[in-house]
Amino acid sequence: MEDMIFYDRLQFAFTITFHYIFPQLTMGLSLIIVYYKWRYLKNNIEKYNDAAKFFMKIFAINFTMGVVTGIPMEFQFGTNWAKFSELTGGIIGQTLAMEGMFSFFLESSFLALFIFGEKLMGQKLHFLTGFLVFLGSWASGWFILATNAWMQHPVGYEILDNGKFVLENFSALFTNPWLLPAFLHNQMASVVTSSFVVASIGAFYILRNKKTEYGRLFLKTGVVFGLISSVLVAFPTGDWNAKNVAKHQPGTFAAMEGIFITEKAGAEIVLIGQPNMVSKKLDNKIAVPNILSFLTYQKWHEQIPGMDQFEEDELPDNIPALYYSYHIMVGLGTIFIGVMALALFFLWRKKLYNMKPLLWTIMFLVPFPYIANITGWYTAELGRQPYLVYGLLRTSDGISPTVSSGNTLFTLLGFVALYMLLGLLFLVLVGKTINEGPEPQTH
Amino acid sequence: MTGTLISLISILLGIIAANSTGFIFKKYSFGIIGNTLIGVFGSILFIKSFGRLGFDPWSIMNDGKFDAFLLIVNLLVSALGGILGLIFVKMIYNKMNK
Repeated sequence: MEDMIFYDRLQFAFTITFHYIFPQLTMGLSLIIVYYKWRYLKNNIEKYNDAAKFFMKIFAINFTMGVVTGIPMEFQFGTNWAKFSELTGGIIGQTLAMEGMFSFFLESSFLALFIFGEKLMGQKLHFLTGFLVFLGSWASGWFILATNAWMQHPVGYEILDNGKFVLENFSALFTNPWLLPAFLHNQMASVVTSSFVVASIGAFYILRNKKTEYGRLFLKTGVVFGLISSVLVAFPTGDWNAKNVAKHQPGTFAAMEGIFITEKAGAEIVLIGQPNMVSKKLDNKIAVPNILSFLTYQKWHEQIPGMDQFEEDELPDNIPALYYSYHIMVGLGTIFIGVMALALFFLWRKKLYNMKPLLWTIMFLVPFPYIANITGWYTAELGRQPYLVYGLLRTSDGISPTVSSGNTLFTLLGFVALYMLLGLLFLVLVGKTINEGPEPQTH
Repeated sequence: MTGTLISLISILLGIIAANSTGFIFKKYSFGIIGNTLIGVFGSILFIKSFGRLGFDPWSIMNDGKFDAFLLIVNLLVSALGGILGLIFVKMIYNKMNK
């Protein structure tokens, strides 16, 4: 049984990690595309329109890869997590179906119109199609996060005698106190990823002395969007999320922060340290006293319950992975603010375009927002363990009892091979698009 | 479980079919990027729409008994989705950009 849970979780973790590479870019990039198109409508400067169309190509490649890698996710609910689907389908089916019916169709239909219909529609309608693509991609995030928010903090449900969850209050799904902070945090994080992608393409063009006019535009846009979104990810959205976890999942909060023993008054914030699960303490710890209490409750000496206050089987089952995921996310987020603030300073001083070390740094930082986004999701998902629906349905009760671990491992290996192929195809297509660059309009 | 893998393989075949068609018949090509995107959506559309006639991934792996004939039908329909998708999108594209 343990074996089956492990492989089911491993397969889901692998497929969702690979899948989330794509939507995190499309959600943020759609906002930047709308910005470029709006600038073009306002100023009639052709390079903004070229930029919007160039990034829509990158959007389309990512969107397509997101669709392909999203299909196994849909199947996995039925194959690996049949009991979970059977018990909670009455609730999560609502939001997942709305995601497919409203957001996906909105996004894909208007994406095609944006790419093919500029001449036919004229510029105002073309802008509108870009805006509807943005709306579709953010609505998609909203419905997926509504599903996840219900799993993290179940509301508006009733449990029948046969153990099935049914929806008692539809609007509760969307007024869930978990949803709005999670959505805003997630969307800002996706804008961070897109900003770094846009800025790094700009840095690449400037360093190669190729399409430098576009390079400067992309770099400037990426840096401005990057700094604003990096700050918003931390505060207020990240802060709001952390307070939600402290309120609704206090055991998870203790595990994320590495608080093994409840301190008498005022919890410290740990900057560096390694969880030692044998002696139940953090090794080689560097911490600042009372800061965590202040950040969480705005009181220096407020007590925060440690893991010693909870039953072991109520705590997340992989505390080191949760602790590291959370700290990697926070650490990288802090680095992003620093780098983007520095870049904005030199942009203001008109020196950024000639600062090769900073341009190289921005270019090579591009994988890290992806890592931060993914470790952020690991924090949410590992933190919810040992539950699928927090406090109500354990992960071990949600798997498909008839699917063997050998079967899951076989398909996992198949996914790894196919995703490697898709990953290569993705890199070739994106590389080709970036290499070709935006196509200036000729009149 | 293996059904999920089959659905991914058929999408890959749709990509290959659309790209091959674009390579052979240049007038339908959107370049490797466009052909690939159309291949994905064409094959998904065809498999989702027509697979219910009895050759969807679950029917292929019915009760764990692998049906090679149905797999071939599935892959052929997927490839057809990629090819017809390319032709259809090109027709729309030409009409929209007259």
